[in-house]
Amino acid sequence: MSIDPQQQPAGAGPGSATVAPAPEISARADEARDARREQFRLLRRSKTFIAGSLILGFWVICAIFGDLIAPDDPFATDPLNDLAAPSGDHWFGTDRLGRDVLSRVIVGAQDILLVAPLATLLATALGTVLGLVTGYFRGAVDDVISRIIDALLALPVVVLGSVAIVALGPSNSTLIIVIGLAFAPVIARTVRAAVLTEREYEYVAAARLRNENTPYILFAEILPNVSGPIMVEFTVRLGYAIFAIATLSFLGLGIQPPAPDWGVQIAEHYGLISGGYWWPVLFPALAVASLVTAVNLMADGISQAFERG
Amino acid sequence: MGRVQKRVDAIRARSTELENHLIDEYRAGTISRREFVARATVVGMSVPLAGFLATACGVDREDVAKVDPPQTQPPEPGGTIRTGILAPAGALDPVTVNNEGALAVLGQSGEYLTWSDSELKLRPRLAESWKPNADGSVWTFKIRQGVKFHDGQDLTAEDVATTIDRLADPDGASNALSVFAGVLSKGKSKAVDPATVEFSLDAPNGNFPYLLSSDNYNAIILPKSYDGDWEKTFVGTGPWKLDNYEQEVSANYVKNPEYWDTSRRPVPDRHEVKFYEQEPALVLAMLGNEVDIVSHYSVSGGKALLTSDDVRTNEYSSSVHRQLHLRTDQEPFTDKRVRQAVALLVNRENLVDGLLDTKSDFGNDSPFAPAYRSTDKSVKQRRRDVEQARQLLADAGKGDGFDVQLDGWNGFEMPDYAQLVQDDVRPAGIRIRLNITDAASYYGEATFGNSRWLDSNMGITEYGHRGVPNVLLGAPLTSKGTWNGAHFKNKRYDQLVADYTAALDLGVQRRIARQIQELLLDETPIIFSYFYFWLSGARPDVSGYETTAMGHIDASQAGLVA
Amino acid sequence: MARFIAKRVALGLVTLWLLSVMIFLLAQVLPGDVARRILGPFADQSAVDALNEELGTDRSLITQYLDWIGGFVTGDMGESLAFRRPVEDVLGPALVNSAKLALVAFIIVVPLAILGGVYAALKEARPADRLISVGGLSATAIPEFVWAVVLILVFALTLDLLPVTAQAPPGAGFFTELKYLLLPALCLVFVLFGYIARMARAGTIESLDADYTRTAIIKGLPRRAVIRRHVLRNSLLPTIAVVATQLGYLIGGLVVIEVIFNYNGIGQALYDALQAKDFPLIQSAVLIVGIVYLVATLLADIAYSVLNPRVRLGAAE
Repeated sequence: MSIDPQQQPAGAGPGSATVAPAPEISARADEARDARREQFRLLRRSKTFIAGSLILGFWVICAIFGDLIAPDDPFATDPLNDLAAPSGDHWFGTDRLGRDVLSRVIVGAQDILLVAPLATLLATALGTVLGLVTGYFRGAVDDVISRIIDALLALPVVVLGSVAIVALGPSNSTLIIVIGLAFAPVIARTVRAAVLTEREYEYVAAARLRNENTPYILFAEILPNVSGPIMVEFTVRLGYAIFAIATLSFLGLGIQPPAPDWGVQIAEHYGLISGGYWWPVLFPALAVASLVTAVNLMADGISQAFERG
Repeated sequence: MGRVQKRVDAIRARSTELENHLIDEYRAGTISRREFVARATVVGMSVPLAGFLATACGVDREDVAKVDPPQTQPPEPGGTIRTGILAPAGALDPVTVNNEGALAVLGQSGEYLTWSDSELKLRPRLAESWKPNADGSVWTFKIRQGVKFHDGQDLTAEDVATTIDRLADPDGASNALSVFAGVLSKGKSKAVDPATVEFSLDAPNGNFPYLLSSDNYNAIILPKSYDGDWEKTFVGTGPWKLDNYEQEVSANYVKNPEYWDTSRRPVPDRHEVKFYEQEPALVLAMLGNEVDIVSHYSVSGGKALLTSDDVRTNEYSSSVHRQLHLRTDQEPFTDKRVRQAVALLVNRENLVDGLLDTKSDFGNDSPFAPAYRSTDKSVKQRRRDVEQARQLLADAGKGDGFDVQLDGWNGFEMPDYAQLVQDDVRPAGIRIRLNITDAASYYGEATFGNSRWLDSNMGITEYGHRGVPNVLLGAPLTSKGTWNGAHFKNKRYDQLVADYTAALDLGVQRRIARQIQELLLDETPIIFSYFYFWLSGARPDVSGYETTAMGHIDASQAGLVA
Repeated sequence: MARFIAKRVALGLVTLWLLSVMIFLLAQVLPGDVARRILGPFADQSAVDALNEELGTDRSLITQYLDWIGGFVTGDMGESLAFRRPVEDVLGPALVNSAKLALVAFIIVVPLAILGGVYAALKEARPADRLISVGGLSATAIPEFVWAVVLILVFALTLDLLPVTAQAPPGAGFFTELKYLLLPALCLVFVLFGYIARMARAGTIESLDADYTRTAIIKGLPRRAVIRRHVLRNSLLPTIAVVATQLGYLIGGLVVIEVIFNYNGIGQALYDALQAKDFPLIQSAVLIVGIVYLVATLLADIAYSVLNPRVRLGAAE
């Protein structure tokens, strides 16, 4: 699996805490709201964010309207016309079963734009809960759960993928679960580090004095204040998720043929490149690269807007 | 030669005189494209095929390069020959080996009683001669004398009997049990003197010598003192002696100077057999000049080799195939008319010409591949006929079509085959839902009730080559067969198979084969669409190597031409 | 310091134990009985039963787990079910191979990326910076199997400069092995460069802005010396953390590269073992990868705290 192109919070090695700034004594609620508005304004003006959104928007349109836009039926086989080079009839050529590559690339956006965000949402939800719990309680709870999280981090995704596909069958939901479980630990770490800082602030002590119950403190008080890093994590992991899905599909552990998923297309055709049949691989590869880049650009913009300094 | 041109030639070769005349007229410009297509479909050509020919024959002919004849110059002695094979899976134990890579390794230093070659002829190796008794229930093999194992021991009939007996032992976990079940039991292989072995079979069997040949790849002859751990010694009587073996990487051999067959002493000094986990890596290795010979590659995976000037491809008919079974004891396939309809909808031309690039024989819905000598080739080849299929479905009360699931696994060209079938049956209203998984999920426990393979309504299963159809007629189709995904139970069929198995005379075999072929065409429990060619390749200046469709590679006579 | 290390090691051991339980249970989920997987679907049922008995796969889960983990701790990792050889014999060469590839990739990418990142930081917002940052980012967005294919096409097939596989023939010399490892290492360089360069760049920018840098310049130190003495040291901090986590990926996550380049590394060994439901191999491979990963992160933490006194002396966990 590939790696995180974004920053981790400065100073965070696995298992060690960030260096905490001095706690402030102030009314944070109003400040938070103003800061949020400012952040969104910055976002709208960020060139990287806009560029990323445009590319992502293009693929979203392909995913939703793919069946209307695609020039041919992406599943219609024509084996006598297989591996035809790009031409007027088929702008991106045909694949090994004679299917139109352009149509398959367009429609291939559907699965990945469905699975990747859902998987990342699952990972973020799980990770956030785990991070909140371990960061807030610390002590024994933190020790035990953090060790489980560490163990999950050390588990290769290949293993998770193989087991899941066998236990749950090859489907989109299986992929969502695999990637959700695989990415939750990393997000939990980040959230934990942020919570460790937040819990020292006055408003938390104040809430405790008011006898608020723990879930309230966690979700109503602390969570809104760590939402910045969480959003950054979400967008960062989204890029990874797209990557991971393509890789798992390439290994035969993700979306199965004959689905027009980009990873599957690359897996089916990469052995043919040496024969000069470059088009069934190049176009899906560019699609994956463009989508990952788009998400990374957006993540960049978000992190610049929401994580100042 | 251009691929398109090759396809056109192949299509023309099996078209009728009328169809060919039509094509000639079109090429000469006497009739227009539209007329050609119209008249072609009138005389019975399918529309897509006519369209393809119209385009292909309408353009200027690509330069027709001559098809390379096989390299026949004698090779230079000495040097090293490098062969690429798929990596052996699992342990290199002659008893349990069950995959292509491992059996190729077995056959380098190990040797069989007979060698089943690319034309399915049996050539004597460690057995000099063999003959049956009157009814074919006892076979006597004369064992060659003067042969030594690599460790110096002499080969005797005892060694042969012990080796075969070990393979026939039900407690021995041998892969060969699937060949010997119902044929040869433990204790029935006896050395009657140092040069003769007698096999007393469970039932008369006219094809028994094939079951002791290189086709039964577990049957390399080992010393009677062998007690396991073949991977340490690679002991055998073959032309190659092991020099060094690195797991997952390669097995390197030096020539055996005391090899018994003086006419076949190795030409090169060394044979390096390199392992590749996946076919694309093997294809790359050939193109990148890392190996001189590729022992086997598939059409879809090896397109780069087929079109490369640096590779000379060797192809021949084999009986490798896929079985598309239709479960006969469950809806929707209980009525044989429905099964026939599906068989009539499958577009075999697309499969042979498109998916397999003409590198394939047509299958006629029985295990009798055109490559087999006992096949009756006069039985009419089933072709696609959508109208008749629709009619049969209507007669069976399924005129509106139906939904059905097709199970398979994600290997070789099978997902492609599955999707083509899915498309082929659409015109009749049949809606196939594909369920392609991994091999383990498809095969499960490989017993009835615990296996998608054996429980599904429709499934695609891969079958490798066999020198004779005995095994294919048995386990997948007989009433008690353990591979019978179609749940086909037909007494007449069982009897015919028993008769075929016992028949010693080729003429008799053919007569029975015809009856079996016609019965299966009528009942259609399994669709056999194609038997694809076995492809191997080598550099143009390499000659003298031999492969078999089992996966064996014999490089003992190979070398570079001057 | 010693306490810090001791505590981390103890925690690491707990994690490893949890990992062992996890992987043991996960491996049980894989379907099909073991002998059937090894012998294949066409093998006779009696052969399958005989092999199952021989392998002892019908004992209780707890027995099998304790058997395995007890053996592992004392150095006996059991026997691979598919290969019928000791697990060490199968995994040993694979681990060495993965280490070699990781080493070559590291030696190329780390200096290159750090230099690139620092240079980009020094030329912040100028074309050189844009090129390095955006270029690095785009490179990581392309899946490694695409890089592999492109590099093979260009360098191996078209230019004929490098071999198409990563596995040197047995007995090859050091430089030959290096030649074979160059292409897959390059793939990894493309994939890793962007991230490490980015971290180095961010760290450099931050420390360029820091007080101690300004102080040093005011004190009259030449810019170059300032960079060398203060800035580099601090920009290395986040980079080290990153490099260490990549080690885990490099050792265990390279299945795709290993498959394409036909390289017998631990990623591919694990993948094959999963297909074959080869418990001992799966479990030991995952534990070994886990150990490497945890050791790497521990070393990174130690290096980090050595270089950054604030962490060592300041707010502890």
